[in-house]
Formats: sequence, structure tokens, C-alpha cells
Amino acid sequence: MIKLKGVYKVYFPQTPNQVIALNNININVREGDFVTIIGSNGAGKSTLLKILAGIDKVDMGQVELAGEDITNYPEYARAKDIGRIDQNPLVSTAAQMTIEENLAMAYMRGKKRGLHKGITKKRQELFRDVLKSINMGLEKRLQVPVNTLSGGQRQALALIMATLAEPKLLLLDEHTAALDPKVAKEIMDITCKIVETKKLTTLMITHNMEQAIKFGNRLMMMHRGKIILDIDEVEKARLTIPQLIEKFTAVSGDVFADDRVLLAN
Amino acid sequence: MENIIINGLQQGFIYGFMALGVLLTFKILDFPDLTVEGTFPLGSAITAKAVVVGFNPVLAVLLGALSGCLAGLATGLMHTKLKINYILAGILTTSGIYTVMLRTMGQPNLSLLNKKSFFGIVLSSCGIVEKELTLFQYQAATITILLVMIVAARVLLGWFMKTDLGFTIRATGDNEKMIRSLGVNTDRIKLLTLVISNFLVALSGALACQSQGFADVGMGIGVLVAAIASVIVGEMFFGSKKLSLLLTGAVVGSVIYRALLSIGLRLNLPAEDFKMVTALLVLLALAIPKIKIRVKKPSLDRNTHVVGGINSDKA
Ligand SMILES: Nc1ncnc2c1ncn2[C@@H]1O[C@H](COP(=O)(O)OP(=O)(O)OP(=O)(O)O)[C@@H](O)[C@H]1O
Ligand SMILES: [Mg+2]
Repeated sequence: MIKLKGVYKVYFPQTPNQVIALNNININVREGDFVTIIGSNGAGKSTLLKILAGIDKVDMGQVELAGEDITNYPEYARAKDIGRIDQNPLVSTAAQMTIEENLAMAYMRGKKRGLHKGITKKRQELFRDVLKSINMGLEKRLQVPVNTLSGGQRQALALIMATLAEPKLLLLDEHTAALDPKVAKEIMDITCKIVETKKLTTLMITHNMEQAIKFGNRLMMMHRGKIILDIDEVEKARLTIPQLIEKFTAVSGDVFADDRVLLAN
Repeated sequence: MENIIINGLQQGFIYGFMALGVLLTFKILDFPDLTVEGTFPLGSAITAKAVVVGFNPVLAVLLGALSGCLAGLATGLMHTKLKINYILAGILTTSGIYTVMLRTMGQPNLSLLNKKSFFGIVLSSCGIVEKELTLFQYQAATITILLVMIVAARVLLGWFMKTDLGFTIRATGDNEKMIRSLGVNTDRIKLLTLVISNFLVALSGALACQSQGFADVGMGIGVLVAAIASVIVGEMFFGSKKLSLLLTGAVVGSVIYRALLSIGLRLNLPAEDFKMVTALLVLLALAIPKIKIRVKKPSLDRNTHVVGGINSDKA
């Protein structure tokens, strides 16, 4: 499904500030995989997702999606197949446009947009149905501008927008990190439900070790631009947080440094 | 009084096309496009020249308006392909336009004395003989033609902004990253919007030329600020940021603004002060919401205080 071959990403190359954000990444994610990604600050997790989404370009190496080499595709040309949600609820929705207008744009993801009416009865019905499924009461507020929603509601809307047009791949970059714990849990539940029903291949960055172990069928740990651990479903099922930290120390020879890491919650 | 109304409506409608164009770029796309200051006289110059060389005035107006598309395209390409700052891109195009106008007209201004005008042609196609009308009747007829045109433009634009394509224009102004992540090439959207906007502005210039009977390379000076003022007046008039009201507001605002100018002239206020007064009024209108926001609390969401560019602080 996704293949990264020898991918490098270097910021400020050939200067004293050079950062090797991705250092020879080779991964192979199978269709239907739900991978959780964890790692210390600045490990390159967000960069990895940005490379996949086409927001950042690789400096070397190859990116393949569903058998197609997409290394040089700009972001908009990959969007048909990739839904992405950012940590910041303000990034994934258009604030001054209404819920239904945002959904209409997501509905047309990757398609040619012409002079078709943006909002039709048929589309509204569809939007109401999907919104109902997340139980936040948003289906009654189709005509409300998104900037009047709470962060959690905006993130829930972003989730629906990311998955409405059935992408091949869903990228979640700490999409619950900016929310308070109760709302974060709600959004996580919705995420699982959507990923399961749509059988989406998903990569989810989290700084919550418990979440990383609990969700998905595969866990990757990143450190200094490399993937240092890749744990499969069977092993992950038995994994505990102390074991995970121990493994990290053994492989990296470093202390796990993430100022926000939550061991449990 | 009559004169003020007639003037306000006639000039207001003519400049209303420009206000719509400026609303589209400055507010909706969040792309302050300075090209329009050149596009307006360009539309006028091309139309005048076309009439002088014998084109049908209706066709001449169309040619004038289409010349605006090219100007918008030039600015857009500089910005999207060559990554030139949009302010500079607009200034470069405007500067080039002056040469184009001077070369086209062969002189800084062109009179259309004794030439049949756009309005005359439209009237005769409706079976009305221009010569038989009183001045008042002629003015009323002109205003009717302009009214039909501006209503058509407003309706068309309103419809367009509600299509899938129109949504992407609004989203590009609102959250470019987001709409790009949904598969939209936002560079293309910017080009398209600049072309449409400058078409409207050049149409405005073309009609101004036909109404006043001449074209002048200097007639663009200050039209941008006047258009921004119209948009702001329209927004205050309806007191809403709803898109449909912003569109209608731009036209209404343009009429109010032009009527105020006529009142000023009537009161023998010195015409040379108008541009400064307009600039100060626009400044005031932009400053008030900022001051209000300061007083409330600093907002994290840069989108909360803007419907786009006129009062955004995009660098
Ligand atoms: N646009 C950029 N310009 C320069 N350096 C960058 C840029 N984006 C990321 N970096 C650097 O690349 C490295 C990896 O950053 P990245 O955001 O991928 O880390 P991360 O694993 O997501 O960390 P965090 O857990 O803090 O979000 C960091 O050292 C960061 O400073
Ligand atoms: Mg990150």
C-alpha cells in the first residue's frame, strides 16, 4: 500500500543548522494497516506524514502509494487518495465557511470541480447522515460557520472531511493533542469507528504511549529521523508501557525525551 | 437632488463592476490585487481605441473588458509561477499597462466626440432613437441599461460563488492549506479569480469611457481606494459578512459612495481633497475593528477578525 524506499529529508542542508529529519526511511505499510507512530520530540514523525501527503518534498528516495510512484506529485495531485488531519483544529477546516460548505468541498476531494451547485438536497442528506453517526449534534447545524464550533467539534468535522470521499490513506498527526482529555477520547472513539467501518489504511502519530499500544495493529517508534522499532500485531498485543520504554532505551541508547509524553492517563 | 441621484446611480453602477471585482480579490480571495489601478484605465483605453478605429461600441466594450483578463493573468502568473510578491506583481503589471495604453492610444487621452456610444447602440437595438430623448430620458435610459447589467453581474457572481468551483475560491482565501489538501491546485484558482476580477474592473473602465466620452491614462488613479471604500460602505450598509450581502453591498456601497461624491461637489467642496478624505475614511473603517479586537482580547485564530484581505495582515 505505502512503500518508502531510502527516504531522506534534510532541513537547512549544508549549514550549521542542518537537520536530518528523515534519515534513510524504509517502510512497507500493508493495505488496512493501522499504524501508530510514537517517538521523541523532533524525531521526524510529522515530517514523515508531510512527505506522504506531499506537503514537503523528499530530498532523496521514493514514495509509493498503491503501486504508484508518487514521489514527485504535488500535494493537490495526491489529495484524492490521502486524507490528513493536523494537530491544530484550525488547519483542517475553512473557518468562515459553513459546515455544509466544508463538507461539500471534502465530498469533491480530488475530483474536478466545476459549475455544479455546491449544496444540493441530496448532498445535505448525505452530510446529515454522516454527521449523525458521530453524535455531536452537528447535523442540526449545517448552515453554521465553522469558526463558531469548539475545537473538538472542528476536529470531528475534520475527521469526517478527511474520510468522506473514501481516501486510500488516512494520516493523523496528533489530532487529539490540542483537545481536553474527555473530548480527545470522544474523537479517538470516532476515529476508530470510521477507520474500522471504512477499513482505512491509517498512520496515527501520538505522544500518548497508552494510545499507541491500545490502537491499531502495528506500532512504529521513531528517533532522530529513523524508525528504530517496528512492532507487529502479535507482539503489540502483549506490550506494556515499561517494556516499550525499555526497548527504546536498548535500541537507541538514549533516554526517551518527550516533554508531553503521557505514560498513562 | 435629482442630479445627485442620477449621478450616484449612473456612476455607482459603472464603478459597481469594479467594486465587485475588488471584493472578489481583496475580500474573498484574500489577495490584495493592485493591478486594478491599471486595469481600469486599460479597459477604457482599449475601448476608446477600438471605437476610434471603427469597431461597434458594444464589441469595443467587450474588448476593453477582455483586456482586463490579460492583465489579471499577467499578475497571477508572476505571483504563482515566479513567486513574486503579489503587491509587486500588481505594480509591475500596472506599470507595463501604462506603456500598453500609451502605445494603443498613441497619446495620453482619446476623445470619442461624435462617435456613437455603447449606450446609444443598445438603445437603438431596443428601437429607441437617442436623438429623440430629452437629457433626463437619456440618463434614465442609461441607468436602466447599467442596472440590468450590474444586476446580471451580481446574480451571475452570486450563483458562481455557490458552485463547487466558487467554493474553492472562498476556501483559498479562507484556508489555502486546507483546500489544497482536498486536491485543489490553488495557483489555478488564484489565476481564475484574478482573471474574473480584472474583467469586471476593465468592464468598469470601458463603461466609464463610454459614459464620459473619452479615455485618459490617468483615470485609474485612486479608483482602487474608492472601490475599497464602496465595499466597506456596502458592508456597513447591510451590517453582515454573508457573501450574498457582501456582493449586493458592493454595488449598493458604490452607489452610496458616488452619491456622496456628487453631494460633495454640489456643496462646492474642493474636489482635490476627495481622494484624501476617501483614504482617511477607509483607514478609519479598517482601524476601528482592530482597536475593538485589542480591547477585547488577543485572538489566536487569525480568521476570527477577517473576511479576508482588506483587514488581514498577511505579509
Ligand atoms: N519546515 C521546517 N524547517 C526546518 N526544520 C524543520 C521543519 N520541519 C521540521 N523541522 C525539523 O525537523 C525535525 C523533525 O521535525 P518533526 O516536526 O518531524 O518532529 P516530530 O517527530 O513531529 O516532533 P514533535 O513530537 O515535537 O511533533 C525537527 O528537528 C524539526 O526542528
Ligand atoms: Mg510533530
